[in-house]
Amino acid sequence: MKPKIAFFDFTSCEGCQLTVVDSLQTNVGLLDMVEIVQFREAMTEKGTDYQIAFVEGSCTRESDEDRLRAIREQADVVVALGACAHLGGINAIRNIYSIDEVRDEVYGDKGEWYETYQPRPIDAVIAVDAVIPGCPIDRDEFIAVVTQVLQGREPRIPDHPVCIECKLNETVCMYLRGEICLGPISRAGCGAICPKYGFGCVGCRGMISNPNLESMEEVLEQYGRTLEEARAKMSMFLTYQTLEEGES
Amino acid sequence: MQPAKILPKSAFPGWIDFLKRSYTVVGPKAMHGQTVFGEIETADDLTLEYNQSVIPPKKYLVPQREVLIEYKLDGTEVEAKFNEEATVVFGVHTCDLHAIKLLDLIFSKGFTDQHYAAHRDNTIIIGYECLTTCGPESFCRSMGTASAPESAYDLHIIDMGSDYFIQIGTERGEALFTGYDGVFTATEPDYARMNGTLSDKWQRFPYRLDVDVTEIPDLLAESYHSDHWQELADICLACGMCTQVCPTCYCFDIRDEVDVTLSVGKRVRSWDSCQIDSFALVAGGHNFRETRAARQRHRFMRKGKYQFDATGMVGCVGCGRCATACLVDITPIKTFNELYRRQQQQPEEVEA
Ligand code: SF4
Ligand code: SF4
Ligand code: SF4
Ligand code: SF4
Ligand code: SF4
Repeated sequence: MKPKIAFFDFTSCEGCQLTVVDSLQTNVGLLDMVEIVQFREAMTEKGTDYQIAFVEGSCTRESDEDRLRAIREQADVVVALGACAHLGGINAIRNIYSIDEVRDEVYGDKGEWYETYQPRPIDAVIAVDAVIPGCPIDRDEFIAVVTQVLQGREPRIPDHPVCIECKLNETVCMYLRGEICLGPISRAGCGAICPKYGFGCVGCRGMISNPNLESMEEVLEQYGRTLEEARAKMSMFLTYQTLEEGES
Repeated sequence: MQPAKILPKSAFPGWIDFLKRSYTVVGPKAMHGQTVFGEIETADDLTLEYNQSVIPPKKYLVPQREVLIEYKLDGTEVEAKFNEEATVVFGVHTCDLHAIKLLDLIFSKGFTDQHYAAHRDNTIIIGYECLTTCGPESFCRSMGTASAPESAYDLHIIDMGSDYFIQIGTERGEALFTGYDGVFTATEPDYARMNGTLSDKWQRFPYRLDVDVTEIPDLLAESYHSDHWQELADICLACGMCTQVCPTCYCFDIRDEVDVTLSVGKRVRSWDSCQIDSFALVAGGHNFRETRAARQRHRFMRKGKYQFDATGMVGCVGCGRCATACLVDITPIKTFNELYRRQQQQPEEVEA
């Protein structure tokens, strides 16, 4: 029997789901291997007897938690799909403000009508078995992770800095171009695509598990950049993690 | 040894065009202020006066990613894949020639690595004599790698101003002139000019190590318990750039990539780095080189001692690439000199 898989979206731009649809076009064989029972982005049916759940988006309100728990209850394997689900990501930028300020700013005097709280990654609510990082996800990595899950293996996501891939591309380091780059503390796997096209890495795949932050600070100083500038870069995807750090 | 050739510079572009008819030709090219090895169309694409390329030409012998075998998951088919592309690698610096010599030794030790051998068989190496040192991080003079080694090249080019003096290393190197008539056999006066060019060059190559290259293996052995490894670890980002750019690093990872229908797969070899956290991670989640200090030590032990023990050649050729790449300025010059300074200070504390 083919495993049944389902896709769920929470607060997100749906770019990762679009990438999934995109990757299916070049990997149609996947459709022979699994049965997709729920995928709002691509179909109307809503089957609930899935074994593998892909969750896109961050959790941004209490009612999301119930939905996430129901998914966890049903699925044998839960995979976080993309930076919003993995990190809180862009949605969590607003966490530097209080929830009342955010309500005021967005909904004005109707603030009370809407349910919302501080955005968080899904693993702040439920246990997650695997992560496909990135904003958006990489289509090849998506296929590779699905394949490994189908094989019953634990998916392998790199846990070393982006710099290694950047050097393989023989890209001129952003620091030598007078720019900031979070590559030395960010998770590789994207092929260092941002520096390749002239942008410093903003860490959309999250930080590596063992970053040398003190040394990163020295690199900034040595190249005439400030910690504030680096923090600004980190706020794009890593606000949730940075605030957690600050509290603990 | 065949007599050397003289190629007038005016004939050089024509010779490249001639080679292009039979081979893929790669060589040093300028890119955004750096030099990278890449495919060339005409002699104009080449930058022969270059400082170190970012990634060494070893990428043509040990590709960053290489399919070793392809198979069906039901076991009915397994096919080994070997490189078949005839390539001429042009303009390899002398230190990189030494590095290729080392790779030849490593990959033929015990069981010959057939994939490496296939690349080596199909790749013609044309060396290019360095006449000035590459930059402040290069210490080829100290490592004894500023002259071309006797093996490793098929042809070796020495720039003599208006023409090139071309040493013949192998028959297949010499065959690159078969059917090309713009080249001459070197005469006595050419050899004299060539020797003059080579003896003049040394004034432009400073020694940069305080320790003699022959003492490096012992120095490393005695430094195994040095505090210096922890000092390096404090600033190291574990980014792995130093190993990716090193011409003598050859560590690889092998993974199976299975297609999504679980019917066919490839076994892929790709470059690994001893500096990243997961390098020494083995089954069961054990990591026998978990700390950055252990990994920095391992890296320098390999360069200075382990490869020497295994092959008789010191594992660093002094190119300086790792130092140029490192954002926190961990360099072999500073490291070897610092270990030496500490050894000299405490000569009696050498028991390892
Ligand atoms: S991770 Fe990026 S692409 Fe994916 S849903 Fe979130 S914002 Fe969109
Ligand atoms: S550009 Fe960024 S990722 Fe690339 S080497 Fe420099 S710091 Fe590392
Ligand atoms: S370079 Fe950084 S920001 Fe860009 S895709 Fe890679 S991890 Fe994301
Ligand atoms: S260790 Fe550094 S200097 Fe030595 S060969 Fe490797 S890259 Fe060159
Ligand atoms: S390049 Fe420098 S910081 Fe990166 S792993 Fe090597 S020594 Fe450490």
